[in-house]
Amino acid sequence: MNKTGFLYDERYLLHDTGPYHPEVPARLKAIYSGIKDANLLSILTLIKASSADLKWIETVHERDYINRFKEACLAGKKIFDSPDNQMCPETYDTALLAVGGILDTIDLVMKNKIDNAFCAVRPPGHHAEINKAMGFCYFNNVAIAARYLQKEWDIKKVGIVDFDVHHGNGTQHIFEEDPSVFYYSIHQHPSFGYPGTGREFEKGSGPGYGFTLNSPVLPVQGDSEYKKFFENDLFAAFETFKPEVIIVSAGFDAHIDDDMSDISLSTEGFSWIMEKIVKMAGIYSNGRLISVLEGGYSLKRLPELAKNHVEILLNS
Amino acid sequence: MFVSQSMTREVITINKDADIFEAKDKMTKQRIRHLPVVGKDNRIIGIVSDRDIRSALPCSLLKDYDTGKTREKLLEFKIKDIMIIDPFTISLSYTIQDALMLMQKTRVGAFPVVDKQGRIKGIISTRDLLRAFINVLGIEESGTLLCIIVEEKIGQLKKIVDAITEENISFGSVLVARYWDEGKKAVFPYLLTKKVSHVKTKLKKMGYTLLDPTEWYIDQTSQDK
Repeated sequence: MNKTGFLYDERYLLHDTGPYHPEVPARLKAIYSGIKDANLLSILTLIKASSADLKWIETVHERDYINRFKEACLAGKKIFDSPDNQMCPETYDTALLAVGGILDTIDLVMKNKIDNAFCAVRPPGHHAEINKAMGFCYFNNVAIAARYLQKEWDIKKVGIVDFDVHHGNGTQHIFEEDPSVFYYSIHQHPSFGYPGTGREFEKGSGPGYGFTLNSPVLPVQGDSEYKKFFENDLFAAFETFKPEVIIVSAGFDAHIDDDMSDISLSTEGFSWIMEKIVKMAGIYSNGRLISVLEGGYSLKRLPELAKNHVEILLNS
Repeated sequence: MFVSQSMTREVITINKDADIFEAKDKMTKQRIRHLPVVGKDNRIIGIVSDRDIRSALPCSLLKDYDTGKTREKLLEFKIKDIMIIDPFTISLSYTIQDALMLMQKTRVGAFPVVDKQGRIKGIISTRDLLRAFINVLGIEESGTLLCIIVEEKIGQLKKIVDAITEENISFGSVLVARYWDEGKKAVFPYLLTKKVSHVKTKLKKMGYTLLDPTEWYIDQTSQDK
């Protein structure tokens, strides 16, 4: 059995998105209860959040953007940058806690205290651009994690696998010219789903050409399409790239019961995906894998999906 | 939407007495396919396309096709020998729709845009029109596409737009298209948000059918066959 870390902090519930918003604190409570009710807490290494040092946020985001975000929170603004990004005065601090918790988790993995981890954080991150908040995201958690691995732990090649149903435009744009970070995303086809990027022909640019890979999936497709794309696209790419650490942008919104998309992935489909990613981590990155929560909005399904996700990290 | 807003203003032109290689180099360097030929006062006298150049030059598979004696011989030919005289031009008051229809009709890839005196003010090509089309669709901004089937009667679109606007959601574009069931239309609002579940539920409660956009396309493809 692996030593698996679980990052969770009640302060992640303080980011309040207001009325009629799917990205709610109850998502995290559902995830926590799913893991707790399966009696997994006692065998996990529990990690609490700490606030990230701004110098790490600045490895990805412009200082001006960080200040704008902080000031918008202090001024009590209800939205930031886009109407989708509803927030409250605690949002900025919560976003710093999300990043800080992930960086602490990376330290534990790199010091071999744990093998892998699931970081149940809010707010999510993969839509956040260098200087723009989008799609419920403020700081790009996984992008900062990748830069931290490179700068603090001297990791040369980071592989990011993003299976949230929406394309991680922020993560792609941040690394599109960077051949040291491979970004793979599988998501609902951009002509049918937010944010409208992640087309098959987006493959990176300049020295980073070939280090971005997108698998857009048409609506209603499910497990078999996902398996086909993973096998044909991701497996081959990572066999060549050989990431030293794998970061997962784990979104559970492709589930058939999640009304944020028209993709019909089953609970078993999610397990298959995660088993394959953990297996790849075993082959290429000495098992080192940090999974970070992005989307997933079905409060009914999140408990079992999170439980399965963690069990795979523990047992694979 | 006038062509004056979508055309390329800094037009790369060529002189009628220039040689063919100069035109070829200009096109390659600037990555363009049409060079208007201008005379005195920037008045348009012709146009030369990459196809005209290619027809004028020998086959590139032949050895020494553009060097030595062959080149010397070819240098004797000038742009005025190969250009299209009196090309189609359009005026600054043409709309994008005019340009699209004219392009479809004439199968010409680019039109010089001229003022009343025939002086070149810009050029509009398929590439500019593609950019305009992307702009009309609104797809350079992040959003989500819905497909709603409505009865073909007055006032349907207003109800949909009102329902979406009440949710404080902005529109990137709205397309209305024919649908295969008689008496029905397909409405495609492109919404600038990720947050669509609430509004989808609301539209369904109002009695609208929300269609998976692929189904519409599949329908169309099978009909085409």
